[in-house]
Amino acid sequence: MGPMAEFTRRGLIGTAAALAAPALIRPAWAAETVKLGCLFSSSGTMANIEGRLNYVVRMAADQLNAKGGVNGRQVEVVTSDPASDWPLYAQIGRQMLQQEKVAALFGCWTSVSRKSVLPVVEQNDGLLFYPLHFEGEENSKNVVYVNSPPASSVLPAVDYLMGSEGVSAKRFFMIGSDYVWPRTINKILKGYWASKGIAESAWREEYVPLGFSNFQTLVNQIRTFAAQPGGQPIVVLTVVGSSIPDFLREFANQGILATDVPILGLDMVEADLEGLDTTKLIGHLNCWAYLQAAKGERNAAFLSDWAAYVKAKNVPFSADTVIDPMVSAYDSVQLWALAAAKAKSFAVPEVRKAFAGLSYEGPSGYTLTMTGENNYVSRGIFIGSVNEKRGFDVLWQSPDAPKPVPFSPYG
Amino acid sequence: MAELPQPVSFLVRGVRVALALILMVSASMAQAAADPIDRSALARAVCSDGAGLARGADDVVRSAATASADDLAFSGSILRALLDRRLACVGDTSVLLDRPGGSEGRDAATGATRSAAGARSPVLGLRQRGLVETGAGVVALLTGASTAQRSAGLATLERRAAAVPEADTILERARAAETDAVLRAAIVQAMQAAALNAPEPARRRAAIGAIADAPSSAARSRLASLRTDPAYAADPAFKAALDAGIARVERAVTIGDGLALSYNALSFASILFMAAVGLAIIFGLMGVINLAQGELIMVGAYAAYGVQEAFRMVAPGLIDLYLVAAIPVAFLASAGVGIVVEALILRHLYRRPLMSLLATWAVSLFLINLVRVVFGSQNLQFGMPSYVSGGVPLYADFIVTWNRLFAIAFAAVTLAATLLILKRTPLGLDIRAVTQNRDMAGALGIRTRRVDRLAFGFGSGLAGLAGVALCPIYSVNPGMGATFIVDSFMVVVLGGVGTVVGTVVAALGIGGANVLIEPFYGAVAAKVIVLVGIIVFLQRRPEGLFVARRRR
Amino acid sequence: MSGAADSLPSPVNARPRRSAAWLHEPLLVGILLLILAACLVLVGLKPAPYVVNTIGQLAVFAILAVSLDLIWGYLGILSLGHGLFFAIGGYVCAMHLLSHAFSATGVAPDFVQFMGWKTLPAYWAGLTNAPYALFLAMALSGAVAFVFGFASFRSRVNGVYFSIISQALVYVAMLLMFRNDTGLGGNNGMTGFPLLFGYPMGSAAVTTGLALASLGALAAVLVGTRALVAGRIGRRMLACRDDETRLRTLGYGTTRLKLGIWCLSAMIAALAGVLYVPQVGIINPRVLAPDLSIEIAVWVAIGGMGRLGGAVIGAVAVNALKFWLSAAMPEAWPFILSGLVLVVVLALPNGLLDFASLRTKPTWLRNGGGR
Repeated sequence: MGPMAEFTRRGLIGTAAALAAPALIRPAWAAETVKLGCLFSSSGTMANIEGRLNYVVRMAADQLNAKGGVNGRQVEVVTSDPASDWPLYAQIGRQMLQQEKVAALFGCWTSVSRKSVLPVVEQNDGLLFYPLHFEGEENSKNVVYVNSPPASSVLPAVDYLMGSEGVSAKRFFMIGSDYVWPRTINKILKGYWASKGIAESAWREEYVPLGFSNFQTLVNQIRTFAAQPGGQPIVVLTVVGSSIPDFLREFANQGILATDVPILGLDMVEADLEGLDTTKLIGHLNCWAYLQAAKGERNAAFLSDWAAYVKAKNVPFSADTVIDPMVSAYDSVQLWALAAAKAKSFAVPEVRKAFAGLSYEGPSGYTLTMTGENNYVSRGIFIGSVNEKRGFDVLWQSPDAPKPVPFSPYG
Repeated sequence: MAELPQPVSFLVRGVRVALALILMVSASMAQAAADPIDRSALARAVCSDGAGLARGADDVVRSAATASADDLAFSGSILRALLDRRLACVGDTSVLLDRPGGSEGRDAATGATRSAAGARSPVLGLRQRGLVETGAGVVALLTGASTAQRSAGLATLERRAAAVPEADTILERARAAETDAVLRAAIVQAMQAAALNAPEPARRRAAIGAIADAPSSAARSRLASLRTDPAYAADPAFKAALDAGIARVERAVTIGDGLALSYNALSFASILFMAAVGLAIIFGLMGVINLAQGELIMVGAYAAYGVQEAFRMVAPGLIDLYLVAAIPVAFLASAGVGIVVEALILRHLYRRPLMSLLATWAVSLFLINLVRVVFGSQNLQFGMPSYVSGGVPLYADFIVTWNRLFAIAFAAVTLAATLLILKRTPLGLDIRAVTQNRDMAGALGIRTRRVDRLAFGFGSGLAGLAGVALCPIYSVNPGMGATFIVDSFMVVVLGGVGTVVGTVVAALGIGGANVLIEPFYGAVAAKVIVLVGIIVFLQRRPEGLFVARRRR
Repeated sequence: MSGAADSLPSPVNARPRRSAAWLHEPLLVGILLLILAACLVLVGLKPAPYVVNTIGQLAVFAILAVSLDLIWGYLGILSLGHGLFFAIGGYVCAMHLLSHAFSATGVAPDFVQFMGWKTLPAYWAGLTNAPYALFLAMALSGAVAFVFGFASFRSRVNGVYFSIISQALVYVAMLLMFRNDTGLGGNNGMTGFPLLFGYPMGSAAVTTGLALASLGALAAVLVGTRALVAGRIGRRMLACRDDETRLRTLGYGTTRLKLGIWCLSAMIAALAGVLYVPQVGIINPRVLAPDLSIEIAVWVAIGGMGRLGGAVIGAVAVNALKFWLSAAMPEAWPFILSGLVLVVVLALPNGLLDFASLRTKPTWLRNGGGR
C-alpha cells in the first residue's frame, strides 16, 4: 500500500504543477507581445462553422504584425478548443483573462456560449468581441457586439419579402431550433407583423431540437400551409447548424421552389450550402452584414488573403468559402487594434473609451462605426439569394450602415 | 395560329388591329392582339434594372398566345439563359453564353459572337424569377422540342395560373399543336380547370370536376373559396357540384396524407434500422456495447465520398453510379475498421463488457477527431445523382422523395441480405450457434473467437452501409454518427437482443410512433414521449419485444 | 467463472473492522491530507482566483466521480445517466441563486423576461432560502433516483441494460430541458448569478469560500462513503457485485440494498451539482448530454474503480489535463483522452491504481454478457 500512496501523491503534485503550467509556456517573449484570446470550438457540434474563426483571427493578427504590430508590440493569438461545451467557454475565458492576461477575447457563436462567458468578462473587466448576429436585448460594457441585432438586420429582409419587389408575402411559417435566438427573433417578428395589422392566423411557429434532421413531416406541413388561402406564404428559417442543410435538402426534394415558397434563412451562410445541390434552391434568401459576393476591392483583397492563408498554413477549411462571421471576426481584430492604437494602451477601460467615434472600412464595403452610446457596431445589410454555385448573390444591400438598435421595439 | 405562313398571319393581324380600332375595344384587347415580340427590346430589358427585366418577362407571357414560333423560341432562349445563369450583360447588351461563366457568347439581339469580358450576370429577385420561370414555362409548353419539356412547361403554367392572364388562350394554342395524346389530355384537363370563372355554369361545373380530378390541398383551397361565390347560393346544381368536388378532394387529401405519414414513418424506420442492425448483431453475439457504431456509419459515408472522388478523377462519365459502387467499398471500409478495433482492443475485453463500452467510446472519440483532422469538420460535398434527388408527386399531397425511397429500398435489401447470411450461410450458422450458447458451440468445435471477429466485422460493415444510405439524406461530417447512438441502442434493446426481426419491428414501431406524434406535439415532444415509453416498457420487460432463444 | 477471482485479494478486508476503519486505507488518508493542504494553501497563500476556482471545480468533479464509483465500483451497476442527478443539483442551485438575486435586486432573470412572464413561477417559492434549496436538490434527486431505481431493480434490469436505459433517461432529460416551454431557460439554461448569500459573485472571498466548501464536501463525502463501504453494508455490496444470484440464494434481498445505495449515490451527485453551478456561473442542458455522463465513468475507470480514492484521482487528473490542454494543445486533447482510456482499459485494468482485484466480474458476464 505504501508505494501506491506515494505514487498517487506524486501524481497529484504533478497535476498541480501542470495546472500552473500555462503561465510558464511562453515566458521569454511575453513581455514584448500583446495577447489576444480566441474562444471558438474546433470540435463538437459547432466545429464546422466556428472552427474557421480561429484562423481568421490569426490571419488578422499576422497582418497587423506585418505592419509593425499595435502600439509597437507584436500581437500573439492564443487559441483554444471549448469543444462546443458551454461551461468550458467560461472556464477557458477565465483562464485567458486571469492567467494569459489577454488584452481582448474574440469568441462565441451561439448565444448560450456568450451568456456563459458574460459573467466572466464582467467580473474580470475583460473585453469580448462577439462576431455573430444575435437576438439583441443585451448591452454589456464588456462585450463588443460586432454583428447586427435583429431590429436592424432581420426586419429589412422581411420588409423586402413583404414588398412588391419580393413576393408580397402575406403569410409566414416560422421554423426554428428551440433556443433563445430563434424564439426572440420570432417574437420580434410577430410583434412587427401585429404592428402592421396582420392577423395572428397568418403565421405559424414550429420549433425543432438542436441538431434535428428529420424534416419530412415539417416540410409536408409547410406544403399544406402554403396551399391554404390568404396570400403568398414564406418560410422564416431560424434553425441552426446541421439542421439547415438537412432542411433545405428535404424542401428541395419535395419539389418546392423559391418562387413558390421562398425561405428566408436567417442563419444560413455559404458554408451551409457546401454539401448541397443548390440548383433547386436558387432564389432562397438570407440576410447578413456581409456576403462573399460583396463588391469592392477590400472584399477582393480579403478573399485573396484568405485563400492564400488557407494554402500557406494548410488550414482545414475551404479556401473559397468566406462567411459573415469570419469577416466579422476579422473586423473585430481590426476594430480592437484601431481602438488600442487610438488609446495608446491595451488597458480595457482605455480601449473601451476609444470606441467612441471609431470608424473602419471593412471587407463588406461599408464603413463600420461605433459610438459612445453602446458597444454595438454599425454595419451595412445584405440580402443574399442562393445561386447555383453554392453561394449567394447580392440581391439587395442597404445604402448605408444603419444605426444598431440593441433593444427591439417590437419585442 | 403559329403554323400560319407569315403573310397570312400578317394579314390576320392587320385585320384584327383594324377591327380593334374600329370597334374601340378595351386596351387589354389590343394587347392581346400583340405585335410580334420586340426582340431587341427584350434583349435590352433583361439587362436593364429589375423593373425592366420583370416587364420584359411579363411581356413574353402576355404575348405568348399570339406570338410567332420564332419569337417564342427567341424569348425562350433568353429566359432559359437567364435562369441558367448563361446570360451576361455587357452594358445593356445581353450575351448568351454556352455555359455559366463562359468567356464569350453570342449577342442575343444580333447573333454575333461577342466577348463576355467584364460582363455582369443579372441577379433575379423573387418577383423577376417568378415571371421569368413562368415565361420560360409558357414558351416551353408551346415550343418545347420534347414531350418532357412541354409537360414541364404545362406544370409551370398550372402552378402559376394566377400570373398568366391569357392562360386559356395559351392552353388552346398548345392543345391545337400538341401531338402527344397523353399530354394533350392533360392540357384539356388544365383548360377545363382554368374555366373555373367562366360565365357558362356548365363549364364552371366541368372545371370543378377537373380540379377535383387532380386533388391536392391547393385544389381544396381553390374550391373552398368558391363557397362565397354568389352562384353557390343561387344555383343548386353548382352547389351540388362544388360540394361533391370538395368532398372528393378532401377524401383524396386525407388518403394522401395517410400515405405520406406511412411513407415518413417507413423511411424514418429504415434509417433507424440501418443504424441499428449492425449493433444488434454485435450486441447480441458478444454483449459488447459498441459506442463507436455511429462512427462506423461515418466511416461508411466518408468511404462513399472517397468513391465519388475516385469516379470524378477516373471515370467522370459514370459518376452517377458512384453510390452503387460505394456499397461494397463502404462495407469493406467499415468492416475493416471494425475488425481492427476488435483485434486490437475488444478481443481483450470480452469478459468485461462495461470496460469494452468505455473502450469503444474512446475509439469513437478517436475516429471523430482523426477524421476531423484529416478531412476538416465541414460537410462533405456530395453530387447527388438524379435517382436520389427530387421526388415525384404520387397522389394528392403525397410526394415520394427519391432519397428516402433509396434508404427504404436499401434497408429492405440489407434486411434480406442479413437474414440470408444469418440463416443460409455457414458463417450465419456459426453466429447463431455462438449467440445461443457460446460454450456449447465452442465444445462442438466452432472457433468462437474467429466467429466473434467475423461477426464484429459484419456488424461494422452494416454500419458502413448505413453511411451510404444516409449520405443522400443527412449532412456528412465527422460528428454525424453521434446523433444515432441513443436511438439505435433503444431500437436494439426494445427489439430484443440477438433478433434481427425484433430490430425491424422495433425500428418500425419507434419510427412510426415518432412520425405519428410529431404533428401534434412537435418533434421534441415526440422524441421524449417515445423514449419515455421505451424506458417504461423496458423496465417492465427488460428482455425486449422478442426474446431470442438462447441458453445462459 | 475463472478461479482467479477467488484467489485475488478483495479490495476491502473481509474481516469486520473497528469503527475507524477508514484510517486503514492509506490512499484515502493521503487524499484527505492533500485536501487539508489545499485548504491551507487557499487560506494562507491566497493564489490567483483562477487557480482557486479550478481547485474548487476539481473537488466538485471528484465528488461526482465518488458518487459514481460507489454504485459502479462497489455494486457493479454502471450508470450512464449520472449527469441527470448532477444537473438536478445544479438546476436547483441556479434557481436559488436567481431567486436570491431577484429578491435582492428586483431584476427578473433573463429567461423570465424572454418567456414573457412577469415573475418567477409558483414552484420557485421558497427557493430564496438556501437550506430549503439544498434540501430540495437532494430530495428531488433522491426521489427521481428512487422511482427509476425501484422500477429497474425490481425487474432485475442489470448490467449493460441498466447502462443503456440510464443513458436514455439522461438523454430524455436533456431533450426536455432544451425545450424552452419546459421553463428553466431552455438551451441557454441559467446564468448571470450576481450574488451568493448577499456577497458579489466573483469576489476573492466568494471564490475562496466556494472552493473551501467543495473541498470540505469532498472530504466529508469520502469519509462517509468510506465508512459505509468498509462496514457490513460494504461487504454486502461487494458480494452483490460479484455474484448477485448467490447472494439472493443465500437469502439476502438485494433490491433494497441496491436501491438505497443508488439513491445515496444520486444525492451525492446532486450535492456536486449544487457546488458546481456557483463556481462555473452557468447551468444548461449540456450537463445532461450522454457524453458527459460517459465521461464521469471514464474518470472513474482511469482513476481506478472500486476504490474511492481512485475515483478522486481520476476525476482530478482528467479534468486538470482537460482544462490545461483545451487551451494549451486544443488539437491534441481528444487524442490524448482516447489514448488514455485505451491504455487504462487494456493495460491497467484497474486504472491508475494498479490494483488487480476486479479483473473478473462473473455477474456481469452472466447477466449482461450474453453468454
